[in-house]
Amino acid sequence: MTTRRRFLAALAATGAATGAMPGLGWAAAGNPAYLAAAQDPGGSFVLVGLDPDGAETFRLALPARGHAGAGHPSRAEAVAFARRPGHYALVLDCATGALRHRLSPPDGRQFNGHGTFTRDGTRLFTSEQDSATSAGIIGIWDVAAGYRRMAEVASGGIGPHDLRLMPDGETLVIANGGIATDPTDRSKLNLATMRPNLSYLTLSGDLTEQVELDPTLWQNSIRHLAIRADGLVAFAMQWEGEADAAPPLLGLHRRGAPPLLAAAPLVDELAMQGYAGSVAFCGTGAEVAITSPRGGRLHRFDASGTFLGATSRADVCGLAPHGAGYLASDGLGGLIALGPEGPGALAHHALAFDNHIVML
Amino acid sequence: MTHPHPTPPRPSLLRAAAAAASAAAATALAALTLVAATLTLAPPARADVAAALDSHILPGFARFATAAEALATTAAADCRPAALTPAYQAAFDAWMAVGDLRLGPSETGALSVAFWPDPRGATPKTLATLIAAEDPAGRDPAAYADVSIAARGLFALDMLLFDPDFATYAPGSYPCALAATIAADLATQARALSDGWSGPFAATLRSAGEAGNATYLTKAEAQRALYTQILTSLAFTADKRLGLPLGTFDAPRPTRAEARRSARPLPNVVQAAEAAHALATALAGAPLPTADAALARLRDSAARIPDPALQDITDPQARLRVELLQQDLRTLSAAIETDVGSTLGIAPGFNAQDGD
Repeated sequence: MTTRRRFLAALAATGAATGAMPGLGWAAAGNPAYLAAAQDPGGSFVLVGLDPDGAETFRLALPARGHAGAGHPSRAEAVAFARRPGHYALVLDCATGALRHRLSPPDGRQFNGHGTFTRDGTRLFTSEQDSATSAGIIGIWDVAAGYRRMAEVASGGIGPHDLRLMPDGETLVIANGGIATDPTDRSKLNLATMRPNLSYLTLSGDLTEQVELDPTLWQNSIRHLAIRADGLVAFAMQWEGEADAAPPLLGLHRRGAPPLLAAAPLVDELAMQGYAGSVAFCGTGAEVAITSPRGGRLHRFDASGTFLGATSRADVCGLAPHGAGYLASDGLGGLIALGPEGPGALAHHALAFDNHIVML
Repeated sequence: MTHPHPTPPRPSLLRAAAAAASAAAATALAALTLVAATLTLAPPARADVAAALDSHILPGFARFATAAEALATTAAADCRPAALTPAYQAAFDAWMAVGDLRLGPSETGALSVAFWPDPRGATPKTLATLIAAEDPAGRDPAAYADVSIAARGLFALDMLLFDPDFATYAPGSYPCALAATIAADLATQARALSDGWSGPFAATLRSAGEAGNATYLTKAEAQRALYTQILTSLAFTADKRLGLPLGTFDAPRPTRAEARRSARPLPNVVQAAEAAHALATALAGAPLPTADAALARLRDSAARIPDPALQDITDPQARLRVELLQQDLRTLSAAIETDVGSTLGIAPGFNAQDGD
């Protein structure tokens, strides 16, 4: 609980040092279980660490609205990504508050809001696109060399968004959303012809498997991912087609098999407003859920895609495993624990939580 | 659960030096943050969720349940369109007072009462399929709950009772039984909505901020939820109830007007606006002079429109009158934002407004 005071002391001791200290473990950052980007009541953007009870373990300023983050597997080091079109990613020492590195995409590239480390923490992969064409790119960064850009590979599609490391530690799975955007803003340019896919790449960038949905669902942008320990991939979608079409917003994929779409009953699907903002498996892996901030709803499904039920919560978006169930965050500062006994308020912060909670 | 708290000066990258070096600066920052937190999260006590429930929402659902029951009773005696029309219109009038709410039982329950807009024509298609097959569900109100929502509720009756392709049925025919079944199913739905609102969901709204309430973590969140419904309803009325038939100047689409067969497009607009204003007034617990004036002007604009079905909007002069009404809706919405929203300190959803 006194993390903040220790934090201030640490700051006073280290002054404005950046990147000079050896990396401390996560215990030094108060053992956060989650990272979340947020906006504070003064309108400033921050990255916060949260412990399993929803209490804040650290808070770091961001220069612009954040989106998602990635935690280093061992060091108390987090990469905070700007929201699209992203021009920064900050490597933050979560123990001291120091800015260790500031990553900028190479000329003609922009960050797309998500990234992931290799299991040994030596490489960071970032979701990017060619600014001019929206062609998807995965940036590869050498962590030990101070996050030096070492290579880039094609993501296998247009406008990649989320990407994750598969449980084999040797494969990346990428949500290529299919949407081409204006180089200078977020305007969508190709909604009539968009063609999203789910792509599996080796860590050196070889495309090993690619999954597309039926052409009637090509306007369903595949954007966010959750991976179960056995390799089952859940993907959440955002519908760009005709209003009130109520398409399924969740898919499940196991490598080598066709994708399985998980639909809710029509009235529930309509209430989601064609939009899933985050996806997560529950703590046991027996269920998977998606959130819709537009509908103010969370939908749960079993691992075979059968709808289990809905939970209502205004502006809910961030979602992660928590205990046997889930942790959901929202723009009103709520952290809702959803377990087998139903939803319960875990904590309430004077923050507007941004789209995602990242589990460390 | 913890309670909202003002944020202490944060150990940030940008402000670390100042926070560590200057207690005065930190105090000033804390004070500023406290003000901001108060504006965002702590509306004054006058915003009154209980009054909104007790004076507007719950009586509204009770009246709708009574009106739908009367419609079902009428239909059981005589299922022909002429016999049903007055009770149908009364039920639709009652629905409009609460029909745009999309919270609690209405979050999914409203759609099977009012399935609109229907751009792909699912309602006539589904009804035609039921009639062609003489589906037994059409004679069984209990089984009808499992029929596609496109063939249930008020818009199924708008089609069946008023569309020339459907409305010529004879007593004893399948469509006549179907009309009575839809009316009975509607009455069941209306009772369920009224019970759901007055029971569990009203309790959820009233207990906002109390331990165990995971839907509304503060009283302010419950106020915000109702307030958001008001603005969403007014936007829906402007953008869909009027926007769909208006189309573009070169391509107006009068057939897209809401429940046009039963001449409800204009009444629905006015009743939705009245309902939004009434809910805002109850929630604010005080007169809303700007909103009152905006509603009066909207009523005047509506009174100048001769065709309640809005089927004349291919005429430029008629179109202009409807565009003025649309503008009045936006003015009313802005007035409510000024009178109520600024008091509540409510901003649009952080994630809902700007996805990724």
